[in-house]
Amino acid sequence: MSELSPQRRHELELAFFGRIGAHVSHEMRNVLSIVGEYAGLLADLVAAAGNGRPLDCEKLAQLSGNIAAQVRKGTETMGRFSRFAHAADQRNASFDLTSLVADVAVLAQRHLARAGCTLEARLPDGAIPVTGDPFGLQHAVFSAVELLVEFLKKGESATIKLDAEGSTAVITIQGRATVTTSELSARISRLSPESKQWKGRVDTSCTEGLLSLAFEIPIQ
Amino acid sequence: MKPLRILIVDDEEDLAFTMAERLTLRGYRAEAVTCATDALQRVGEDEFDVVVLDVKMPGIDGLHLMAEIKQQHPDLPVILLTGHGSTADAERGMREGAAEYLMKPIDIEKLIEKIENSTALKKDEKP
Repeated sequence: MSELSPQRRHELELAFFGRIGAHVSHEMRNVLSIVGEYAGLLADLVAAAGNGRPLDCEKLAQLSGNIAAQVRKGTETMGRFSRFAHAADQRNASFDLTSLVADVAVLAQRHLARAGCTLEARLPDGAIPVTGDPFGLQHAVFSAVELLVEFLKKGESATIKLDAEGSTAVITIQGRATVTTSELSARISRLSPESKQWKGRVDTSCTEGLLSLAFEIPIQ
Repeated sequence: MKPLRILIVDDEEDLAFTMAERLTLRGYRAEAVTCATDALQRVGEDEFDVVVLDVKMPGIDGLHLMAEIKQQHPDLPVILLTGHGSTADAERGMREGAAEYLMKPIDIEKLIEKIENSTALKKDEKP
């Protein structure tokens, strides 16, 4: 994680923003496709009723409930993406670490799903107030997830954990992975440059192929 | 005339099953599965006239699945479903033997047109 020029840093951040934008647009396209299919089915059933097929009120209620559920899903997705995008507004801000990690975990789930893996988030109930660069931290955590995914086998599950101890919060991204120290060293530069600021640390010495990437953040 | 048998393969369960229901309402014999394993099992068990397959599914490349289906049934037409970001995959799929491709969100009438075209083509190809 050597020092990068501002230009290179900007390029990496833009690429990260683009990757997240692509994930979100894919998810939104699915939501809209499903809403479109449900609306189409409603229209089909009404048209069939016009031709004498009895209208099933229970079915209509179910379809309208399904549409409402997809709209809720889309609203949540856009809310999450809006928080993600606005994190870049202020590079030094006070924010809630629990909410930020929860958002990154959901954004990262699609990335893992594409690799045939799953991600479980273990987060504390309460808010953890911290100060720093929220966009940079999102980038650091996501790049750690991306690094881990490279070494996960299909079907494996990864975990993103947030713990607070005293004046320090620790975000740990963990999963069973087959990786040698040299393989990992070769790829460690892919961690975002902000990882250094957040004391990104990689621990591969721990037990039986369990790869952990951790970030320490001082609590306000 | 026997109704066409259609297998829809899409990991988005809501999408796959609703599409199947809409095709069924129009007189087709459509069914949906949400993973590659089930897709391969169904094409192994029953005779379908066409498969409608999502290019991007978690954990599997849709084109790889198409190749496996084609290995079992070389003449079975496959229609690929794709998003805006993955048209390159669909075009590659066409080169690798897909009958048609269609962009999401799906227009059911366009899908039916593609289904009819691809199955008509298959009939024409028979000696």
